[in-house]
Amino acid sequence: MKKLKPLIEELNAKAVNAPPGWEDRDVKKIFASDLISDILIIDSDNILLLTSLLSDQVLYAADVIGASAVILVNRNHIPAMLGKAAAKKGIPLFHTPLPKFESCVRLGHLMELV
Amino acid sequence: MNSTPRFAEDISLRIQELAGNLKIRDVMTRKVFAVTRTCTMRDVQAIMKSNAISGVPVVDDRHVIGLVSVNTIMNAYEQGWMQDPVAKHMTTGVRTLGEEQPLSFAMSAFSKFPYRRFPVVNQNNELTGMVTPRNINLALIQELSRQLDAIETESGRITPAATSENCIFSRIYRVARYDFETGGTAAAELREQLQARGVAPKIIRRAAVACYELEINIIAHSYGGTLTLYIDRELVRITANDFGPGIPDVDQAMTEGFSTASDWIRSQGFGAGMGLPNTKRLSDEFAIQSGVDMGTMVKSVINLNPQEKLSDENK
Repeated sequence: MKKLKPLIEELNAKAVNAPPGWEDRDVKKIFASDLISDILIIDSDNILLLTSLLSDQVLYAADVIGASAVILVNRNHIPAMLGKAAAKKGIPLFHTPLPKFESCVRLGHLMELV
Repeated sequence: MNSTPRFAEDISLRIQELAGNLKIRDVMTRKVFAVTRTCTMRDVQAIMKSNAISGVPVVDDRHVIGLVSVNTIMNAYEQGWMQDPVAKHMTTGVRTLGEEQPLSFAMSAFSKFPYRRFPVVNQNNELTGMVTPRNINLALIQELSRQLDAIETESGRITPAATSENCIFSRIYRVARYDFETGGTAAAELREQLQARGVAPKIIRRAAVACYELEINIIAHSYGGTLTLYIDRELVRITANDFGPGIPDVDQAMTEGFSTASDWIRSQGFGAGMGLPNTKRLSDEFAIQSGVDMGTMVKSVINLNPQEKLSDENK
């Protein structure tokens, strides 16, 4: 289990929505997908979700699985409506210009998976 | 679309069948705010505002002699008639419906006349209620749910605990076709309800995901429908009803990876063919019925009791 803050820093990710206490949220697993259907199959708590999907349904899906946070990868600019949806759901939302694969590799090292 | 007339006919038949056993008194609003002819237009406006209603019947010894609608009030406001007695400006010759008449009479009346409400009277022609399209819609949904429950009780599938006396939360959501923007509303509320009751996070996730899958199914694959949540101390029941187009081969639809999703739906992140199989996997009880051009009904039950929670940990 890791805290969210060092994972966010590792990707130089910028906050779109950072509710109070986001830094101390626990992350048990990293999951990367652009398919909502795949996200919904995750059977674990405290997921850090990486995706390049720019749909507010990502936040609905993250909410129903109880994800710790969402990082939008390969993105420099995020539509404002996503920030609003994240704030409404109370989900920490970040974006990073790093591609998904590189983000996964970096986080994998930090999580001591590779 | 060419299929629209056929679809409308089928829906109409299905609704008539549902309404067959109901009478107007079964669906009408019994708490009626009526006024006498000497009340002022201002009085009626205050009644409408404080009770969130849009039409008030005018009675004389419980007999309906007129009706005041929001339009009447707006007109009175513009003309400076707000202090006038209602008898001066009310709509007269109001059509009423009999409380013992079949519900289909009310449905025909709404189709035939441009009114949004009808006063309901008893055999003595005394006002006993009001009926609006909303009353009818709610009654049909409840009747649909009741019939589904009866079918499942007969087949021994429903849990005995799932009776209305035990209910601690129940809500029906309308779900519109392709409305991805509000998709997940019911799932979010279900999650909040279960969290407030201290249900284990793993059970909450199962219920919320099952609900979300069914919600998205209606949005992505149907012409629209309803999603009903029911929670009691032992279980969550999610019932999804849509108005078609129906599933030609349910077994195939239950196969992981099978999907009829369009490219646009896939671009939204859906359409991997996992929705129904995933819902079944997450459910302690699962039932699906579908008819081509008629619609699909899916029921998912998730147990909340501690034994189920323990066994769930091993899933």
